[in-house]
Amino acid sequence: MLELQNGTVVFLPGTVNERVALNNVSFTLKDGDFVTVIGSNGAGKSTLLNAVSGAYPLTSGRVLLDGKDITRLPEHKRARYIGRLFQDPLKGTAPNMTIEENLGLAYGRGRRRGLSAGVKKADRELFRELLKDLDLGLEDRMKTKVGLLSGGQRQALTLLMATIVTPSLLLLDEHTAALDPKTSRQIMSLTDRIVKEHEITTLMVTHNIQNALEYGNKTLVLSQGRLILTLEGSERDHMTVEALMRLYSANAADALSDRMIL
Amino acid sequence: MSLIILTDGLRLGLIYAIMALGIFISFRILNIPDLTVDGSFTLGMAVFAVFAMDGRPFLGLLLAPLAGLAAGCVTGLLLTKLKVQPILAGILTMTGLYSINLLVMKESPNISLFNSGTVFSLAETILPGFLKPYVNFLFPALVLAALTLLLLLFLRTQLGMSLRATGDNEAMVRASSISADRMKILGLALANALVSFSGAMMAQYQEFADISFGIGMVVVGLASIIIGEAFLGRRSIVCNVLAAILGSVLYQIVISLVFSTGLNTLFMKLLSAVILTVALAVPLVKDAVKKGKSGRAAVKRGEPNDA
Ligand SMILES: Nc1ncnc2c1ncn2[C@@H]1O[C@H](COP(=O)(O)OP(=O)(O)OP(=O)(O)O)[C@@H](O)[C@H]1O
Ligand SMILES: [Mg+2]
Repeated sequence: MLELQNGTVVFLPGTVNERVALNNVSFTLKDGDFVTVIGSNGAGKSTLLNAVSGAYPLTSGRVLLDGKDITRLPEHKRARYIGRLFQDPLKGTAPNMTIEENLGLAYGRGRRRGLSAGVKKADRELFRELLKDLDLGLEDRMKTKVGLLSGGQRQALTLLMATIVTPSLLLLDEHTAALDPKTSRQIMSLTDRIVKEHEITTLMVTHNIQNALEYGNKTLVLSQGRLILTLEGSERDHMTVEALMRLYSANAADALSDRMIL
Repeated sequence: MSLIILTDGLRLGLIYAIMALGIFISFRILNIPDLTVDGSFTLGMAVFAVFAMDGRPFLGLLLAPLAGLAAGCVTGLLLTKLKVQPILAGILTMTGLYSINLLVMKESPNISLFNSGTVFSLAETILPGFLKPYVNFLFPALVLAALTLLLLLFLRTQLGMSLRATGDNEAMVRASSISADRMKILGLALANALVSFSGAMMAQYQEFADISFGIGMVVVGLASIIIGEAFLGRRSIVCNVLAAILGSVLYQIVISLVFSTGLNTLFMKLLSAVILTVALAVPLVKDAVKKGKSGRAAVKRGEPNDA
């Protein structure tokens, strides 16, 4: 369970460039919730995820994960419980290390890193099975450096790495936006499958309204740092892209950007 | 004559290769240009020399890397906790070490070990008779082989992989619940432990320690690594580590050859700077030549040149 209480992030406070990127946002994700987040450019979606993951500190407010206050925990300690994917497929993997080494590192998440083998024999079998499930042929290239893979392959691998030790929370920040439409669809359905299979509590930022309504069970709409709408239940089930656009303009000062309309 | 030069270069190369392994950790694995090296090399020499003078060279060989470890930690802490720029962090430690090294050497700028028992002479006593003449070569070779093996094994452990990933993609490391800061400190500590150990071996081999011996060592180490990579490439970790060793040996052989012509040794540091500059320039020039050629070929074929 994730709880954000009055989350506020102010960049460059006290300067002319002061910017309230997240303004008093509160919400709760119950266990197993798959929540999508939309909003125009600069609405604070990435800031929201960064504040939850610990990449940026909250200026005020609290973050609770499974009832524990993690507001002051540094990023790498929160990472024990939080899996994460970025928009940039290059960000999630170590390019000069092999596929199995990357998986080996991810598989050690939350444990102390000692002098045991980085990739154990038994692990290797597990990795092969998991890679086979991705259906990208990566199971035969486990000794290949990740830097040689395509963006889509790297993002699929990152997804596997983020979930190989089932996290309490999965954060996805436009993780298919940098991929071509076909690969993007593949990664999206892979995400949905993995999230459902392990019942992972997930917060997914997307610029694709269709995806935001199609996947998950709840949608948050951000505008200029504020949470202006929360869609769930039957209201969300009957929501269309057009209706959501109208609802947005009625509630927000700005317009959803063009790249949102899909 | 030239055989002696070759074996001399080989021996020096084996000892400097230990330093190159250290610089490989900071420079290539962590991607941090660590200038602590100049100071920690001398630190190793100094620590070894004072213990060797006391008739305890083996203790000196043991403590020298520990001193280097501490020096590396200081640079690591400056870098991570005080967010000092990597180059500056190294310079700070190196500068501070100058005083510390002098202090360790009891305020004398050089220490001669000519009359002290050496590790080589002690090692010689345990070698079987027919190997005795080769002790100056065998001892460093065995030490280097052992360290190389340990380093390669370490780099395949969870901890070693975390270290490698830190230089490769820090964001990913933090996302995997690893403290990147701790990895940088660990890496710099290990790197400088090796550098100091190399310094200790050098003091033993040359039978003296000198306060300014370490000046420019980082350049020697980097040049060695780059030269080795020119021959072996950067395909795998094993390849990279072997490249550092091969490069070190080649570098020292070249240096020995050059100075065997009677060139004044005052040119030593200038030569090392020139060698590194050339080593850095060669790949660029090669690239440019390749591009020029393919560009010209493309023009001949009537294709647009997008270079
Ligand atoms: N590190 C930072 N320093 C200063 N300002 C920042 C920083 N990061 C984000 N901002 C500002 O905060 C606001 C919210 O940015 P954020 O990246 O969260 O938007 P977003 O909703 O993710 O937008 P996009 O759809 O473009 O990814 C923007 O105005 C941005 O300029
Ligand atoms: Mg964003």
